[in-house]
Amino acid sequence: MNRKKTHLIQGERPFKIVTYGALALIVSFFVIILISLAAYTDTRTLFSVLVSREILFAVRLTIFTATAATILAMIIAIPAAYAISHAKFPGKDVVDTILDVPIVLSPVAIGAALLVFFNTSVGSAVENGLMRFVFEVPGIILAQFTVVIALAIRLLKSTFDGIDQRYEQVGRTLGYSKSQVFLRVTLPLAKNGVIAAGVLTWARAIGEFGATVTLAGATKMKTETLPVAIFLNLATAEVEKAVAVIFILVAVAAGALIILRKVTGQRRFE
Amino acid sequence: MISVKGLSVKIGSFSLKDINLDIPEGGYFMVVGPTGAGKTIILESIAGLQRFRSGEIWISGKDVTSLPPEQRQIGYVPQDYALFPFLNVRDNITFGLRRMGNNKQQNKERMESLAHILGIHHLLERSVRKLSGGEKQRVAIARALAISPKVLLLDEPMGSLDVRTAKYLRLELKRYHEELGITTIHVTHNLIEAEEMAERMAILNMGRVEQVGTPDEVFFYPQSPFVADFIGTPNILDCDYCNDLGHGLMEAVCGGVPIILPHYEAPVRKLALLPRDVYVTTRTPPGPGINRFKGTVMEIAPFSSLMKLTIRVGEISLLAELPQDIFEEMDIKIGQEVHLILKLRSLRVH
Repeated sequence: MNRKKTHLIQGERPFKIVTYGALALIVSFFVIILISLAAYTDTRTLFSVLVSREILFAVRLTIFTATAATILAMIIAIPAAYAISHAKFPGKDVVDTILDVPIVLSPVAIGAALLVFFNTSVGSAVENGLMRFVFEVPGIILAQFTVVIALAIRLLKSTFDGIDQRYEQVGRTLGYSKSQVFLRVTLPLAKNGVIAAGVLTWARAIGEFGATVTLAGATKMKTETLPVAIFLNLATAEVEKAVAVIFILVAVAAGALIILRKVTGQRRFE
Repeated sequence: MISVKGLSVKIGSFSLKDINLDIPEGGYFMVVGPTGAGKTIILESIAGLQRFRSGEIWISGKDVTSLPPEQRQIGYVPQDYALFPFLNVRDNITFGLRRMGNNKQQNKERMESLAHILGIHHLLERSVRKLSGGEKQRVAIARALAISPKVLLLDEPMGSLDVRTAKYLRLELKRYHEELGITTIHVTHNLIEAEEMAERMAILNMGRVEQVGTPDEVFFYPQSPFVADFIGTPNILDCDYCNDLGHGLMEAVCGGVPIILPHYEAPVRKLALLPRDVYVTTRTPPGPGINRFKGTVMEIAPFSSLMKLTIRVGEISLLAELPQDIFEEMDIKIGQEVHLILKLRSLRVH
């Protein structure tokens, strides 16, 4: 018995070296990249770039479009995720798979598909009669929305899946209709999950590039969101500007993760 | 009166078949059966939370079969209670009251009086996450009762409590019932709980009602092999006559065997004794000779880790159970004479 136990512990060592080694490698990789970014610029240039007209425009545009796309996505994703979480119907697997397509598909492909759609007769009717999307700001919102909605539904579905139906049932017996129970029981129970989904969706929309650039184009001071700004400034070799924008995006990502940890009480990451 | 008429439900491979139950106004009715018998589904059907193929639910003379749960006036306490974690104790209790639109003063009075009866006044401002199991149970009952329901449905209310708390709360639950007089349907897998609390009970097995009756009726007259097995296949002894012995004791003579019991008011007609409460030994036991007899082993049958012995005493034969190892140690054989001790406390009287 004893000998076997000692043997097992010895056998664990190479395994630990490999797993912890991989962990250390990837963490130092990230840290080195961030340090190299910081080394590339000094605070004075960084600050002057940050308050430049172009970057301020990009910040405002990005926050506006990402917020609009997130609100639209949540308005549709909350009821849709509830339906897919609770409903039992034939072909549910097919619906589930369709919802996952935008998560797996390359954003450029999504943007290109949208662009193709606006070249069909229905698409141009929308363009001419309703609102212009191609190479315009609404196109950014639509591109971000299309990319993030699937993510929002996926996250919210797992939140709703985790809510015991007994709560809703008790709410019903206490005199509340199905929709009243949804508002007064289900949503309060889902609160943290909804906030987390909103924050992740927003962070994802902020960073969206592929679909945006394909549908709305990369026009300076017009459809220039933060990721587009990185792309444009690298293309014209204005590396300081690109680095400044990268720092903004890193800060947004860090902020989102901090909020996420707060609302999910860290459990999600343990 | 609550009536379940011809209820049939099918969920996947499980089905509930033709359930008929009548629970009188103010009664305490229990549905007892092993896990997976379909007990919760009956409660959900009464509450309107379960769709069913056929059957009707009547509450106080009204057919509610097609009514949604919010219009049935039902107090539902699910297993594990499902207290709303985002509300404190007070807001949990008043959750249904706020919907009813009474004035604030009335709601407050109703909540206060329930909190008083249930003894949870000191918990009102607490978060429900920090309550003990027994406290959660009482808060859940208060929340259900707040809307003045016509019936209280309790699903395994003692399921998540430790044995001692459960024992205490069984008495408490009966007290609330007596105080409030509300018709109650209580689901449990625990036979002892049912015997102690039920006015009437239904034994449920695999989606069918095996027997409905008072605990005594079920215990002394099990109507199917399942019921007999579920309650532990007791030895039922028919008694010929009784003698009062004084000192709070009496003697019931059953098939020529005199059995001493605590004094019982009505004449004893039957006695029930579970096989596990019949002790068997090969040596003369020490101590006073109350409820000790000599008998002859007639039959020995192994049953999982137990040995079942049929022992003849006078004109009666008693079934006794002993663990395999003790049986082997004593080396008992058919035809051998053994000593029996009947566990006095576990004798049931009818």
